[in-house]
Amino acid sequence: MDLATLIGLGAALGLMVFGIAQGEEGILSIKAFWDPASVLITFGGAFMAMLATSPDIPGFLGSLKTFKLTLKKVDVDEESTIKNIINLSNVARKEGLLALEEAANSIEDEFLKKGLLLIVDGTDPELVRSIMETELMCIESRHKDGIGFWEALGAAGPAWGMIGTLIGLINMLGNLSDINSVGPNMAVALVTTFYGSLLANWICTPVASKLKANNAAEIAMKEVTVEGLLSIQAGENPRVIEEKLKSFLSPDKRASMLDSQGGEE
Amino acid sequence: MIDVTRLDGTQITINAELIETVEEVPDTVIKLTTGKKIIVKESRQKVKSLVKLYKWQIFQDYINPEDE
Repeated sequence: MDLATLIGLGAALGLMVFGIAQGEEGILSIKAFWDPASVLITFGGAFMAMLATSPDIPGFLGSLKTFKLTLKKVDVDEESTIKNIINLSNVARKEGLLALEEAANSIEDEFLKKGLLLIVDGTDPELVRSIMETELMCIESRHKDGIGFWEALGAAGPAWGMIGTLIGLINMLGNLSDINSVGPNMAVALVTTFYGSLLANWICTPVASKLKANNAAEIAMKEVTVEGLLSIQAGENPRVIEEKLKSFLSPDKRASMLDSQGGEE
Repeated sequence: MIDVTRLDGTQITINAELIETVEEVPDTVIKLTTGKKIIVKESRQKVKSLVKLYKWQIFQDYINPEDE
């Protein structure tokens, strides 16, 4: 459970409602912000326009499901990946590359496992690099599709809110003779822009940014994995591989790896 | 050019003149001057003898030309 997402989204809504409730009428002022017609125009319009951009209905539903990814904590455990690779390089150094086949069966990381099996099959190093990098590109491109969806929705929200505002204004200006209705009608017109902006800034932008950050972390870790695998295949010294991989980490993470290693030995 | 066996069993012929180092880690890694590394089943000493054998064979063909 990614607490940052939960608390962030929840508190944003809560603080906003709390701020609205600070007015004279207290919590009842929320009523001014609720208008079913506006909900239909803004949310309905935005989501259905996104449906039009999706290749098909399952694709659209799939893109919506990527929201769940923001709630899941992305377990990019750099330390254990690097430790795995160092252990594997020690095995390869002592018993040869073919001994890695047995070690590969106990690896949970699918990406690492795939690379290991390629090596054990005696695949040419350049081919191994090319296959792993192609897989990386595909992973990244799938992520980008999801991110693009939420960014587009974030743009569609305020745009449809504006359409709602125009509808409201057109209605309002058509009834200018009734001065008393001008104020409330103007308020209703602005509620749609409010919904649009809310959709974009409360949901779409944070979700898109979180997906981007998760993507970056996962891709970085997989690149480290590819470098490690190729170094193992080239028969490099495990100490050298360890230093090479640690240079991918930030200095404080490097230090914490040193600490945990010191604790074990 | 010498014939060596890759780890998966396939035979490959490599240019002996391009060999820079041969290392046992413990699988034999032949590093070429192009930077490319090939892992082979033959041992380090065997690779060395293969190169010597190859050059001896060329020399043999020279001092004993076949068309005589």
